[in-house]
Amino acid sequence: MPAIEVQRQMLPMLESPNQGARFYNPDLPQTEPFVPGHRTCAGCGPSIQYRMTSKASGDNTILVGPTGCMYVANSSYLCTPYNVPWAHTQIGSAGSFTAGVAAAYEAMIRKGKWKGAFPNIICEAGDGSASDIGLASISGALYRNHDCLIICYDNEQYANTGIQASSRTPYGGMTTFSPPGPMVPEAKTLFPKDLARMMAAGHPHCYVATASVGYPIDLMNKVRKGLNHKGAAYLMIYTPCQKGFVYETPRSIDLGRLVVECGLYPIWEWNPEHREYDYSFRPQSMRPVSEYLKLQGRFGHLHAEHIATLQKFANQQWSMMGVELPEALVRATDAKNLVAMASAEAAAAVAQTV
Amino acid sequence: MATATLTKKKVRINGCVASAQAAKYADVDVIAAYPIRPYTATMMALAQMVANGELDAEYIVADSEHSQLSIAHGAASSGARVFTGSSGVGVHFAYELYSPISGSRMPVQMMIADRTLDPPGDFGSEHTDALATRDMGWLMGWSCDAQEAFDNHLLAFRIGEDPRVLLPQMVCQDGFFVSHITADVELPDSGQVKEFLPPYKHPYPLDPRHPVSHGPQIMPEQGPPLQLERARAMEGAMPVIEQAHEEFAKIFGRTYDPWLEEFMTDDAEVVFFLQGAHGVTARHAIRHMRSRGVKVGMVRLKTIRPYPTDRVMESLSRFKVVGVIETNMGLGSVSSGGSLYAEACAALYESPKRPLVFSFMAGMGGEAIVLKEFYWMTNKMLDAQKRGSIEKRTHWVGFEE
Repeated sequence: MPAIEVQRQMLPMLESPNQGARFYNPDLPQTEPFVPGHRTCAGCGPSIQYRMTSKASGDNTILVGPTGCMYVANSSYLCTPYNVPWAHTQIGSAGSFTAGVAAAYEAMIRKGKWKGAFPNIICEAGDGSASDIGLASISGALYRNHDCLIICYDNEQYANTGIQASSRTPYGGMTTFSPPGPMVPEAKTLFPKDLARMMAAGHPHCYVATASVGYPIDLMNKVRKGLNHKGAAYLMIYTPCQKGFVYETPRSIDLGRLVVECGLYPIWEWNPEHREYDYSFRPQSMRPVSEYLKLQGRFGHLHAEHIATLQKFANQQWSMMGVELPEALVRATDAKNLVAMASAEAAAAVAQTV
Repeated sequence: MATATLTKKKVRINGCVASAQAAKYADVDVIAAYPIRPYTATMMALAQMVANGELDAEYIVADSEHSQLSIAHGAASSGARVFTGSSGVGVHFAYELYSPISGSRMPVQMMIADRTLDPPGDFGSEHTDALATRDMGWLMGWSCDAQEAFDNHLLAFRIGEDPRVLLPQMVCQDGFFVSHITADVELPDSGQVKEFLPPYKHPYPLDPRHPVSHGPQIMPEQGPPLQLERARAMEGAMPVIEQAHEEFAKIFGRTYDPWLEEFMTDDAEVVFFLQGAHGVTARHAIRHMRSRGVKVGMVRLKTIRPYPTDRVMESLSRFKVVGVIETNMGLGSVSSGGSLYAEACAALYESPKRPLVFSFMAGMGGEAIVLKEFYWMTNKMLDAQKRGSIEKRTHWVGFEE
C-alpha cells in the first residue's frame, strides 16, 4: 500500500507581539483547551503559560505532562482541565514519551490508520524534568527531530515537591534544598544551567526560543512558530511561582516583565534556517536586578555583594545579546553602591529605571 | 484457510531474528531500539527490514532503555502497535516504566533476551533481569527455542491487545541459548497472521477528536479500585490466553499448552521444574536416564504471569520429588536460592499430596547446564525420594559432592 502523505497544520502569527498582558488583541483564539477547575495556586505562572500555549495551539492538539506541578495540581482524578487529549508521563520521560506520540501519528497517518492533519504535539515539562532528570530524553527527541514542541515551563525549582533547587534555580535563590545559613549566606551558590542555549547549540536544526508570561503575544507566537516548524522545537518559558518565589499573588505578570527588564531572562529566538540567534526583542526599559529581587522573599537574605554578583550575571546576559550597558547597571555591579535585601525599601529608593 | 493457498516457508534463523520476524508479521507501527547484547540482533534485523522497505514502521533509536519504554508508552497510548526490547541491566534501567505502562493498560510488547545482571555482567543468560519485574503487571513467559519465540510473540500481541486484557507483554527467551542459536523456524503466510491477529485498536487512545486524560493523579481512596482492576485484568487474561492458543493451533497447526510443557511425566516420580531453554537440554538428559530405567520427567513453566497456580498444583502433586532449576537469583529469599521455588511451593500448599521440593542453583551467570549436571541433579532427587525428606532447600550445582 502506498504511503499516505502527512498533512501538517500551519497556524497564523498574532499582531503586536511586544505588547504587555493588558493589551487586548481581537485575534486571540476563542478556544480554551485548558479550562478552569484545577488546583493550582492563585497567580500560578505555569498555569497562565499553559492557558496561553494551548490557546495558541488550538484543538487539534495532544498534550504530554511529565510529573510536576502541571501534572499533580492539574489532574485531580476525574477532574482534569484539559479539553484536548493529555497524558501523564514520568518526570524523566518528557522527550521520549512525546517522541512516541509523534512517531505513532507519523506511522498511523502514513499507513492510513488515522485520518486528519498531524496534531500539534506539545510536552509541558517543568524545569526539574527539562534541566535535570529528563534532559537526555528531551535531547533525544530534539536530536531525532520528531515533529513536536517541547516546553520547559521554568519556575526555577522543583515546586510541586515543596520548593527544592533545580539546575534552573538562580544564584542566591532560597529553596528547601538551598537554604541560607551562616556557612552559605547567599543560599544557592551555583548559577543556573543555560538550558535553552544548550538546546539551540546542541540541536541547531530545531527552532529554539525563550519567552515569558510577561509577554503573552510573543509567547503565543513562539508556540505557533515552534509548532509550524516541521520537526522538533523547544521553548523555555519564565513562569513565576508564588509559593516558591514568595511574592504578592497579583504580581506574576509583573515579575514576568521585570525578569526580562532586569536582564535575568534574555528573550531570544534561534533561527534553524539561518543558524543564528535573533536578539531583536527589547523590553520597554532596562532596570537593575534589585528591582526584580526585592519583590521576592526567596532573595530576602541576600547581602549587597550577592546582589552585585547577580548584577554582573545580568550584565553578561545583556552583553551576550549585544546590548550596550547603561552606566547605572555597571555601577550596580559594585557592592558599595548596593544595600542588603534586608533593607529592600532602601534598595527600591536607590534603584534607577533606565 | 485452505492450505494450498498458503505461502509458508521454513527458514534457519536464531531467536533474535525470529522475534524480529514476528514483529514484522505483526506489522508494528513503532519500534524503539537501544543497543545491549544479546537482544540487539533483533533490532538490527528490524532496522534492515525498515531500510529495505519490507516493514513500514517508525524505527526510533532511543537514548536509553528508559526512553525506549517511554517512547513505547507514548506510541501505544496514541493507538500504535509498538515493539521494543532489552537485555540484562537494560531491562532494569527502564524499570520505572513497567508499572505506568501496565497501569495505563497499554499493550506494549517487549522482547527480552536474558542477560546476567552486573555483577558479573557477562553475556550469559540468567533470568533475574526479567524476573525482577514479574509483579509489575506484564504478561510474561519464556520460550525454549526460536520457533516457540516466534509463535509466542504473535500470541502475546493477540492476548495483550484483547480488549478484555489490555496488558503489556514481556516475551522472554534465553540469551544465546535461544537468541543466538540458529534453528528451523516456519514463517507463516501473512494471511494466516491477519486472520489470527486483528488490527490493534485501543478503546481510549490520545486522539484530538475524542479527548481523554491518561494517568491523572488520584487520591489514596481512589487507588484500590484502580489496582483491583489491573489485578482482575491479569486474572481475566487466563481464559483469553487459552482461547488464543486454541485458535493459534487451528490457524498455524502448532499446538501448545499455554501453561506447562510436560515431558515424559506420565509415570515420572521425580521431575525438573524450570523455564526456558534449559528445557531443551533437560529433554536429552531425561531420554538418556529413561533408557537406564530412571523415572524422571520435566515440567516446563511457559507462562509465569499470570501464574497458572492450579495447573502447577495439579501437575506437581503427581510426583514424589520436584527439583526446581532456578536460573535466577533470589538472594536472601525463602530458600536462599531463586524465586521459582517460592512460587511453586505456594502453589502446592493447598494440595493434599505435596511432593518434596527443593532448588538447584544452576545456569547462574548464564553458564550452560550440561548433561552430567542434569544426571547429578537427578541423583539428588532420587536420594531425597529414597530418604523421604530433602537434604536442603537449595543446592548450588557444581559446588557440592
